[in-house]
Amino acid sequence: MTSKETVLQSLNHKSGGRIPVDFGATSVTGIHCRVVEALRRYYGLENRPVRIIEPFQMLGEVDEELQKIIGVDVVGIWGRQNMFAIDETRLHEQVTPWGQTVLVAEGIDLTPDKNGDVYIYAKGNRSFPPCAVMPEACFFVNAIERGGAVDDENLSVSDNLEEFGYISDEDLSHFAREADKAAATGAAVVAAFGGTALGDIAFVPGMGLEQPKGIRSVPEWYMSTVLRQDYISQIFEKQTDIAVENYRLLWEKIGNKVDVVFTCGTDFGTQTSQFCSVETFNELWLPHYKRMNDWIHQNTSWKVFKHCCGSIVPLIPSLIDAGFDILNPVQINAKDMDSQRLKDEFGDSVTFWGGGIDTQKVLPAGTPGEVREHVRKQCGIFGKNGGFVFNSVHNIQANVPIENVVAMIETLSELK
Amino acid sequence: MENIDKLYEAILKGNLPLAVEMTKMAIEQKMDPKSIIDNYMSKAMDEIGSRFENGKAFVPELLMSARAMKGALELLKPMLANSDIPRAGTIVIGTVKGDLHDIGKNLVASMLEGSGFEVINLGVDISSEKFAASVVEHKANILCLSALLTTTMNYMKEVIRAIEAAEIRNQVRIMIGGAPISSAFAKEIGADGYSSNANAAVSVAKQLLAV
Ligand code: B12
Repeated sequence: MTSKETVLQSLNHKSGGRIPVDFGATSVTGIHCRVVEALRRYYGLENRPVRIIEPFQMLGEVDEELQKIIGVDVVGIWGRQNMFAIDETRLHEQVTPWGQTVLVAEGIDLTPDKNGDVYIYAKGNRSFPPCAVMPEACFFVNAIERGGAVDDENLSVSDNLEEFGYISDEDLSHFAREADKAAATGAAVVAAFGGTALGDIAFVPGMGLEQPKGIRSVPEWYMSTVLRQDYISQIFEKQTDIAVENYRLLWEKIGNKVDVVFTCGTDFGTQTSQFCSVETFNELWLPHYKRMNDWIHQNTSWKVFKHCCGSIVPLIPSLIDAGFDILNPVQINAKDMDSQRLKDEFGDSVTFWGGGIDTQKVLPAGTPGEVREHVRKQCGIFGKNGGFVFNSVHNIQANVPIENVVAMIETLSELK
Repeated sequence: MENIDKLYEAILKGNLPLAVEMTKMAIEQKMDPKSIIDNYMSKAMDEIGSRFENGKAFVPELLMSARAMKGALELLKPMLANSDIPRAGTIVIGTVKGDLHDIGKNLVASMLEGSGFEVINLGVDISSEKFAASVVEHKANILCLSALLTTTMNYMKEVIRAIEAAEIRNQVRIMIGGAPISSAFAKEIGADGYSSNANAAVSVAKQLLAV
């Protein structure tokens, strides 16, 4: 069976196949560039600059050589621009503040200022204030909130829609080219076409905009989900209109070369609770998600991938109702997120893409022996009857012990 | 005087303009600021905090109440500064170096402020030197450290070391929290208190200072 067939079999909840694996196909199932470099070194691969595939979290590309070693079954296709609206097709070599040589988009200059901070500018345009900063001794980037206080009198929905638009011919051709390349690998293909996440707090500050308008502060956005529900709902409505039209064009052009679309990364869970009640979710989000997902299911063969961190058991029935096929990262270390319970209660209706290894205790602080035992246990639970793609709970962070990552990789290959 | 009761509701419901209006009225009526805080503000924050802890209210609601409470408190601050009304204590709080998560930390800060503590919120990505200097500068009774990442939680040890090196460890109690933190970890690194949520953080702080 090819990688693609293995993944599709699992997504269709058919048993029998081996457990498919993803590392590096999306911005939420990746590996920090430091760990990518350490893995390449460990496996004796050529010493060369790691390509930064996602500069906000500083994820490194899981290249073909590493894909083989890890046994990856999924590849991703990415947009022409990153979240800073900087062109990702032109790269240059840079040295990170921690001394690692990387390949990063030309519009990003990793030279720190005198305080050791690295600033990033929307569209690479330095005539506006920076949109993001990688503070000294940090391994990733933080949004800088711009735009100031919200003026309710003059608030217009279009202000919060500036970053969402109809897909250009250039982008369509880019995705078509990338999809051809990805499909030719024989792996399953995940695409993040962008612009379809409803209220993802990571994107609210508008890091790709030179002068963001509307509601751009994190707390103000959360409060608006209660105080300005109409406004938020109108944003989601319009975003969904745009998403459906873009999906129509993309499906025409690319079709089933893509298997999975990663549409939304809005986190609804905290370590111990949710960011909103089930009622609020059902009123404010569910109708829009459902419209997007129904269109996809009625018109394409794509499966829909939803990322949502934290403790979300009460919301899972609604996420399933909304038509999501796949849940990630399955934060098994958050409250009530017991693996067996998740599999028993929801395993027939949804695929768990993640939850393969805990990243709060086992991966960063366990022994290699504990890693092995844990990975076997998780695969035993989630791998039954398909409906599972192995991935850690969210991206592998910058300073996890490399021997633990290797123990995970070796266990996966033993399980094959 | 009875209208003032609306202050409790205003803060509980997160109605900033009403909270400000009610507080102004209370000040005009020469109500004692301490009783405004104790009988209305803190009570409302207590209630929203416990709803939050029990999953009946969520981050947005707590943020709204905190904002209404702060609006009211701003008006009372000048009066508190000019009086000898005792505050519950002074707290320095921040997210540790390398970590940029701040939603939970800010809620903890608000709950503490709403229950009568003076709170200095240093922000995110704070170094051990900065924490130590701020504790000295503000004569803080409690230092609160937040971390959401397993990659940054160990930095809390460094902060505690810096506090020890500055020879102020016996003057300040240290509380820690954040998603990956546990009471076992707090014990292991020699912190004095831990809580898993913003509401319980208030009782821990009060216990530590025996107020
Ligand atoms: C929202 C969020 C974000 C937002 C942060 C926005 C912001 N301004 O803070 C964004 C999207 C930017 C983000 C980014 C990242 N995140 Co994040 N994020 C979360 C998420 C979903 C919720 C955190 C939150 O705000 N909760 C709500 C508040 C109210 O709860 P809280 O913070 O836990 O605080 C409460 C208690 O902990 C306690 N408390 C907190 N501090 C203190 C202090 C004291 C003294 C006391 C007593 C109590 C206390 O009281 C609070 C209120 O009740 C968590 C998931 C989770 N399980 O927690 C992941 C999570 C923390 N993130 C994670 C990661 C890895 C990241 C990234 C590094 C990127 C990545 N994914 O690779 C980046 C880092 C970027 C950055 N710039 O910092 C991981 C950490 C895993 C690990 N190994 O430790 C988590 C656990 C997600 C996961 N599925 O694994 N994130």
